[in-house]
Amino acid sequence: MARSTDETFLHEDNAGLIFSPLKFRHLEVKNRLFRSNLAGMFDEYNGYGGHTRLNWEEKFAKGGVGCIISSYTPVAVRGRILIRYAMIDNDDKIPFWREVGKRVHSYDCRFLMQLSHSGRQQDMGGVENQFKKARSSTNQKDFFHGILAQAMTPAEIHEIVEQFAQGARRAREAGLDGVELHGANGYLITQFLSSGINDRTDDYGGAVENRARFALEIVRAIRREVGPDFHLQMKINGVDHNDWLYPWKKKGNTLEDTLAICKMLLDDGKGVDAFHVSSGSTFPHPRNPPGDIPIKPLVRWYGGMLASGVRTRFNFAIFNNPIGGRLFQWLWRFRRGKVIEGINAAYAKYLRDEITKLDPSIKFLCTGGFQHAANIAGAIRDGSCDGVSIARPLIANNDLPQILRTANGPTKQKECTYCNKCLVNDLANPLGCYEVSRYDGDTFDEKWENLIKSVMSVFDPPLFR
Amino acid sequence: MNYDPPTPAERVLARHRWIRCFVVLVVLALAIYYLFFVNQYVIAYRNDVDHFKYGSIGSEPNLGLPILVFKALPVLYQDRLGPTGYRRFGMLYDNDKSDLPIGMSRRYVGGVERVWFNCAICHVGTYRLALTDKPTFIYGAPANNLRLYELLKFFLTISADPKFNADNLVAAIDSPTVGGDLNFVQRFIYRRFVFPAVQQGLLELSRQFSFMAKADTPGYGPYFDWGPGRVDTFNPYKAIQFNFPMDARHIGETALNGSSDFPSIWEQHPRDGMHLHWDGNNTSVDERNLSAALGAGVTPVTVDIASIKRVRAWIWDLPPPPFPAPIGTDRDTVAEINRGRALFADYCAGCHGMKDASGQYDYDTARYPHLGQVESWDRIGTDRGRLDSYTPNFAAAQNMLYAGYPWRFTHFRKTDGYASQPLDGIWARSPYLHNGSVPTLRDLLEPAGNRPAKWYRGSDILDIDKVGYRSDGYGSAPGDLFVYDTAVPGNSNRGHEGKDYGTELPAADKDAIVEYMKTL
Repeated sequence: MARSTDETFLHEDNAGLIFSPLKFRHLEVKNRLFRSNLAGMFDEYNGYGGHTRLNWEEKFAKGGVGCIISSYTPVAVRGRILIRYAMIDNDDKIPFWREVGKRVHSYDCRFLMQLSHSGRQQDMGGVENQFKKARSSTNQKDFFHGILAQAMTPAEIHEIVEQFAQGARRAREAGLDGVELHGANGYLITQFLSSGINDRTDDYGGAVENRARFALEIVRAIRREVGPDFHLQMKINGVDHNDWLYPWKKKGNTLEDTLAICKMLLDDGKGVDAFHVSSGSTFPHPRNPPGDIPIKPLVRWYGGMLASGVRTRFNFAIFNNPIGGRLFQWLWRFRRGKVIEGINAAYAKYLRDEITKLDPSIKFLCTGGFQHAANIAGAIRDGSCDGVSIARPLIANNDLPQILRTANGPTKQKECTYCNKCLVNDLANPLGCYEVSRYDGDTFDEKWENLIKSVMSVFDPPLFR
Repeated sequence: MNYDPPTPAERVLARHRWIRCFVVLVVLALAIYYLFFVNQYVIAYRNDVDHFKYGSIGSEPNLGLPILVFKALPVLYQDRLGPTGYRRFGMLYDNDKSDLPIGMSRRYVGGVERVWFNCAICHVGTYRLALTDKPTFIYGAPANNLRLYELLKFFLTISADPKFNADNLVAAIDSPTVGGDLNFVQRFIYRRFVFPAVQQGLLELSRQFSFMAKADTPGYGPYFDWGPGRVDTFNPYKAIQFNFPMDARHIGETALNGSSDFPSIWEQHPRDGMHLHWDGNNTSVDERNLSAALGAGVTPVTVDIASIKRVRAWIWDLPPPPFPAPIGTDRDTVAEINRGRALFADYCAGCHGMKDASGQYDYDTARYPHLGQVESWDRIGTDRGRLDSYTPNFAAAQNMLYAGYPWRFTHFRKTDGYASQPLDGIWARSPYLHNGSVPTLRDLLEPAGNRPAKWYRGSDILDIDKVGYRSDGYGSAPGDLFVYDTAVPGNSNRGHEGKDYGTELPAADKDAIVEYMKTL
């Protein structure tokens, strides 16, 4: 983990920068801390939002972040990654999201909806998708889990472009503050953007301009629906690192490819207002969320995915094997590298430097393990980004913004360990921090009891009391 | 309508399942094929002597008989072999309960346990001092009992015998004596696969050995029984390994009858570099060993080098057996031995070496310049058969054997005589001369004319005075022993005679030399 050792700046300087407002073209956020898109299987099976989701989002607004980016929000049921995620596929979902906005806004916190489509990265498609292949840019299956895919026809592409546009319209009608296109981490938009995945030979494949056509059509369709003054940002991989698991796979997009895509998405000032920089052409990926891969929880909870792909059983056998599991964990750490906190900062800086030369009004967010004021302020100060998005450290400490006001970060015991147990438990259990060592108590049982209390707190208050 | 169709992933997995099943089946089939039909299994013996007696050297894949067939044949042919089975051919058994004779080894080849010869078949002798004694085994000595010719003839003749059929074979295997107790599957396998394969193998062997059976056929020379303790080393070798033509136009009567005694195989270390084989055609113990293994049925492909190396290590410094009867220590006997030693030093040691003052056999070729060297036939004058059976063409062919391996033959040469050998343990190497034509050492010191012209061979009762196995038929039923006729081609007892060879010495001096030779 990289820790800032730059003592040139006092904590007050760092906090001052972090808690200064961030002004986008059409949106102002009270500080530079964004709750990154972070989900849990909290909603109704059919995509209606649930009461628990309201509690979940409210936790972070109350904790002091300036803006929340919603959980992964499918624009269509075929674009779902996991069941029990609230969707934005129909106008009947607008009332729920309006309530979410209302709750969050009451804490002077902004809320952006992340419009998403899984494409072939459909970990648990649910019964609605049981007999369908996932839609994608390609017929090639997802190389990690072996989820089968079917290359979309131009007509199907246009249908999905429209689904994104309608999703944005619904978000605006729900009173939300903007939308983010999930163009990173291997989901459908990445499947078009990435040279490592997109193998089309039509207008949507080949050169980077063609690969970006799908995303640009979505941006233009959204602008058509929501107008020029509704905040629209794009989450994008700095670099794909598509060969993390199988070295013989293509590497995917380089930083230069990404810069070309970003330039296109500006669309002469009519396109996106901001970029949110991540990396990794799959989810999960050793670089996203950056950290460890916990083998024991993986063996316990990966079973729910066995029916989803044609390589899941193979993966499970690897995870479940004493040698295979350790080798996978070693590969994971090796492919991630040594830096965790600020892992994408260099990519963001390169892109921000180049893009702001063209349009200084464009802002950049950077994600990747941030939980220390010095690192956050350092990234903003050196021009890597204008704000940071945080996920797991906020699960570990919902009140992290308040901590950062007075300290560089949480106390050692309370820090997020980047163990990624939250990630793996999400396949079966309520999303929360599952790192026992972080909890108070003298015995394991005491700590575990406190862990359960913390995880279950999302259900409180209950809907009926 | 299918109300429970597979998901896309299940459809692919179902396809993969067939592929996986196919791959697993192929892998299993390959594993079974490898484990049962490619890989071979032998019995490993802790003890070097047991390894020598029963360890496989790799002859079974080529010539081996399934063990149940080997055991069934004496039952099936009790009329020809009698109640003692393979003992009729001089094969030795450790005891009455022994499963196989000494010199027969086992190896699982192609899923069947097969048996065939190893080194011990030709290199374990026995002796008795009295008729009623139990034979004592001498490991590394010439197999004085083994009637290899008769044994081979037995195997070769049954191949075309109507009695040798699947029904009779299976019945013999299931007999109480063999105790095969085959189930119906095994019976089916033996009827349909094992028997035809064995019959085919024996027919092929019979074809290769056909020159032996054509003694009375026009165009083929007469071919004579080797008798016990002897083998025609190179003529079968020519026929089997190289397909040499063996008819009268290509090989004369003398060369065709070149049988010779089995040699002893102890103390090989000092022999390395000497001219080995009776005619001295090779100076490498290792090549001689491998060549002898070929004679036992090994092929360059099936040879078990590690096993042969283990035998080699054991015989490298294996000591010869001491004379089994007391040697007199009275003054007269000691004086006689001393006189014999002096005479031996004068007449024999130059070619054969002798024990030094410390009692160790001295193999020093610098001290004994003719030791281990080829003595020209013009001088030695013994039977030419064995010498002529080995030809330059054959030497050239031998030097092509094991091509591509580090142990390829390179030392074989045609010589013009017979090699002088160390005489360590000479008492256990009777009869004498390369063709075993002279029954005792005392007889050998006589001119050829005084040596037995027709005598009984195959006894293991030791004549401790003349030193050699008895040749007078003592203790054996008429017909049990082999009548050795020195008039038969290849059997001549001439040579190794004259003033230089001590045959003109007074009888008392000859007795003294023999008395001394008991101590070698």
